[in-house]
Amino acid sequence: MSVAEQVDSTDLSAGDAARPGMTAAPMPGLWADLKGDVPGLIGASFLALLLLTAICAPLIAPYDPGAQNIIMRLKPPAWVDGGSWAHVLGTDHLGRDVLSRILHGSRISLIVGAVTVMLAGTFGVLMGLTAGYVGGRTDNWISAIVDTQVAFPGLLLALLILAVIGPSTVTVILVLALNGWMVYARVTRGAVLSLRHTAFVEAAGLLGCSTWRVLMRHLLPNLSAPLLTLGTLEFARIVLAEAALSFLGLGVQPPATSWGLDVAQGKDYMFRAWWLVTFPGLAIAITVLAVNLIASWLRVTSDPVEREKRFARRAG
Amino acid sequence: MLIGLRYISLAVAVTMVPAVAIAQDISIVLGAEPTTLDPHAADDGSEKAVNDNVFETLMARDAQGNLVLGLATEQPTQVDATTWEFKIPAGLEFHNGEPLDAAAIVHSVERMIDPELNSEQLSYFSTFAGAEAVDATTVHILTSGPDPILPARMYYFMIVPPEASEAEGFASSPVGSGPYEFVRWDRGNEIVLQADPDWRGGDLDVQKVTYRFIEESGTRMAALMAGEVDLITNLLPEFTGQVPASASMRGLEHPTVILNTNGGITQDVRVRQALNLAVDKEALASALFEGQAQVEEGQLLGRTYFGFNEGVSAYPYDPEQAMALLEEAGVAGGGITLVGTGGRWLKDREVTEVVAGYWAAVGLNVDVQIFEFDEYLQRLFDKENRADAIFVVSGNELLDADRSFSAYYAPSGFGSSNNFDQLEEWIVAARTEIDPEARQALYEQAVQLGHDEAILTFLLNINNIWGLSERLTWEPRVDGKMFVATMSVE
Amino acid sequence: MGRYILTKLGQGVIVVLSVVVVVFILTRLIGDPVRVMLPLEATEAQRTQFEAQLGLDRPIGVQFVDYVADVAVLDFGDSLWQRRPVMDIIVERAPATLLLTLTAIGLAVALAVPLGAVAALRPEGIVDRIVVLVSLIGLSIPQFWLGLLLIVFFSLTLGWLPTSGSGTPAHMILPTLTLAIPAMTRLVMVVRSTMIDEMNAQYVRVLRAKGMRPWRVVAVHALKNSSVSILTLAGWELIRALSGYTVVVESVFAWPGLGLTAIQAIERQDLILLQAIVFLTAIMVVVLNLLIDIGSKAFDPRIDLRAA
Repeated sequence: MSVAEQVDSTDLSAGDAARPGMTAAPMPGLWADLKGDVPGLIGASFLALLLLTAICAPLIAPYDPGAQNIIMRLKPPAWVDGGSWAHVLGTDHLGRDVLSRILHGSRISLIVGAVTVMLAGTFGVLMGLTAGYVGGRTDNWISAIVDTQVAFPGLLLALLILAVIGPSTVTVILVLALNGWMVYARVTRGAVLSLRHTAFVEAAGLLGCSTWRVLMRHLLPNLSAPLLTLGTLEFARIVLAEAALSFLGLGVQPPATSWGLDVAQGKDYMFRAWWLVTFPGLAIAITVLAVNLIASWLRVTSDPVEREKRFARRAG
Repeated sequence: MLIGLRYISLAVAVTMVPAVAIAQDISIVLGAEPTTLDPHAADDGSEKAVNDNVFETLMARDAQGNLVLGLATEQPTQVDATTWEFKIPAGLEFHNGEPLDAAAIVHSVERMIDPELNSEQLSYFSTFAGAEAVDATTVHILTSGPDPILPARMYYFMIVPPEASEAEGFASSPVGSGPYEFVRWDRGNEIVLQADPDWRGGDLDVQKVTYRFIEESGTRMAALMAGEVDLITNLLPEFTGQVPASASMRGLEHPTVILNTNGGITQDVRVRQALNLAVDKEALASALFEGQAQVEEGQLLGRTYFGFNEGVSAYPYDPEQAMALLEEAGVAGGGITLVGTGGRWLKDREVTEVVAGYWAAVGLNVDVQIFEFDEYLQRLFDKENRADAIFVVSGNELLDADRSFSAYYAPSGFGSSNNFDQLEEWIVAARTEIDPEARQALYEQAVQLGHDEAILTFLLNINNIWGLSERLTWEPRVDGKMFVATMSVE
Repeated sequence: MGRYILTKLGQGVIVVLSVVVVVFILTRLIGDPVRVMLPLEATEAQRTQFEAQLGLDRPIGVQFVDYVADVAVLDFGDSLWQRRPVMDIIVERAPATLLLTLTAIGLAVALAVPLGAVAALRPEGIVDRIVVLVSLIGLSIPQFWLGLLLIVFFSLTLGWLPTSGSGTPAHMILPTLTLAIPAMTRLVMVVRSTMIDEMNAQYVRVLRAKGMRPWRVVAVHALKNSSVSILTLAGWELIRALSGYTVVVESVFAWPGLGLTAIQAIERQDLILLQAIVFLTAIMVVVLNLLIDIGSKAFDPRIDLRAA
């Protein structure tokens, strides 16, 4: 996306990423800490439930999400006059079951989010590690590419790419990953730069560890906390971006289902069938909220400075 | 300014009463903004919607689609095989005072076929060779070959003033001779027309009309529901009960499925007939289109089109017989590919999927492939590798069989998948057949063969539906044109 | 400072050049406007002629040189859809987008600063918790959905505001809110954390020890010191809005700006128009970035330029 991504809502920047004093075994007692953070716990529970839902969607969804029944079209949710418990959240303009579509739609959101974050994250981290550790001309080149791409009008360019090569779930993932790897590269590079000259990394180098080994065994573990936070935030952003692209008709294409796509299709029926727009929209909002809650908990927990601040505030 | 004040006061006054424009002024929502207002340049429905009120044509149609006189004072006559004679009244003028005489018509014809203009409308006027003024009120239109449907073509041909149409800016501020004069075009926002106070056709009820452009049908609907506008186009069938008022009329669009007679299981005529029998057209019309569609009479033509064959009717819905025919052809449970697109035509994806559902219900293994329009076109145009079945929507603005049949019946047509050489012969012959009865006979043969051989899966004829505000009175037309002169407001 | 500006300018030029190359590759090598733009009935001859008209029949190298030369003088050719110069369309539509984005981001800043400041007064207090939660919710709502909800509520249920279009101040309210709310929630979070840091700074502690009231410390001192970072973030929000969010908001409200035009161009496969919009937006983004960088350098000497 834009430069703005480097400092997101959580002011997570390269500088924060590698505060000295972070141990090689990151985040001890994660579970215990999560239990103390109610919003984080709620977010994590919801996400766990959603994951389970996505995996078991074919088993728990009452209908095939694509099964049409034009006689039963535009039926309201069960608790509204005219609705029935056969279709708890009602049916859409083709008589498809809204609940089943939402359950199946969770798969697309989670898959697009997870795959994109993994693709962009892996590539970005590798580039960041290389730039930070090898340094010199390599660093200059990689940093120049990152700086250039960060200044691209991201979504518009994504629209151009999608318009030219045609939208599909795979192209959406590729386009979003292409747009999102720079943040990881920046964070990783910054962290590597500040860790490179610490005693334990230099010692590892002196002891004859290969570059690869130093990177993988000594540097990367130290990066896991900030990268996890960043990945979580990016996940939330990607879920929203996929929904927006699908809403514009440039994302996931039918017969595949996506929450954004369902809102777009339901929009034409907004006046007669409010449930078509409301439920998929709510699904997106709640999912992203859950992920954001986890991210804000992760940020505080994994950052010693934040932890100190919080402790100080509570004590004082 | 008045409108601006209205909204501000609304926002402040917290009222539930919808805002309705001042009496005698109406606003109409179109699905897209015109790309130009030059009546000769583009093949653009929005441009036509506006210019139909600004310009006039030699021939016109009544609401049912029958060809009647427009500017012409008497029925056009054929001077020879390639010359049609039109007569117009004396003393007509354009809004800017230029005379509307034979010279203006000659100029209009020459302008249309001028390569410089490179008109997108040429496919409607492909037979134009030129024009000659006989005297001020008599004009000869010359065609490149015998053209029996030239009078029908003239319904789409707008007469432009010679001087103004050559001047800079005609495409953004047109000058015509119709009941309404162009006032302004605020790009991206609105086009405004006002009634010509001296209109020779009598008093006009609507004094000012504002066109707005909203692509999303949900948003269009919202504007009507909120009382911001008086008339919206392409209302979804589901909402006829919810808008203040609605009007519908059998339209020009015929969704259909092209069947490949040269390959696949569709080679066998029994299979093609079975595909027709398998689809419940009535249910499709009543459930998917909420009754806003008619079962089409097995010929891709409407009742008022030239070439309509009274003796042919739709295939009944008979899944039993369909299954029997498939069994007989030895392809029960066979595979068939159905290609379609989404978002181009009203409910295109839905119709494709429902048809596939009916075919699957008689035991076929249907592979539905919905493509982006670009990719879909590649498949539609690919005459070498035809898919078994391709969904398409045939539209016929000329209300004459030639247009639909050249495309979907004649083997050489871009959308046809058959090899019936007789169809090609008849359609080519009819194109230049001057005698209306002989011409009708040729088309009736073609209709019969197309139906019996089931070269298409005949489906529906979709209604055009408009949403109206309560204060607007207007009768819709078969050709879908929105003549403001025929509207009135309370 | 001069050297810094030069470096940044150089970076901007590289970005613009890269966009030129990427756009060219996408539209000429991968896309095929000819087939889609012509009507169904077009003959092969018409296609060939159209291709020649667009210059697509020439060697790709020649096309590229011509393209760069045209782009250099902002001549993008005629829109395939509207058949008139692309620049005319952009000049017509850009003001609507700029008006919408500037108003929305202005509103977002105006709302975010007091909210963030109030929250920062007592971190983890009840007000802070509410502000943080509301911001998180705001961050999580899909923008297109928010727009639809606003239309249903304010236009259809209450009948207060027009549903779509432009032309009067009332038309602006809903699109502006839809664009502003997510930006505001992001800004609130940042304002809040910057202010909390400021409040913990030594000088604030001294001021407070001297008995200055907390709100005064916030309003006068902490806010002043955070203003540079807040403005920088507002600049970034402006970039985000221009380079993407307006597309969504304009298409929900039929707001006749560049974003809606981009979507319309995509629907009509008008790659000529689309590429020009992308390219000009890229230039706007580069210029904004430059202004932000120079601005923050000029107003805040604490920023270490060599690190950038």
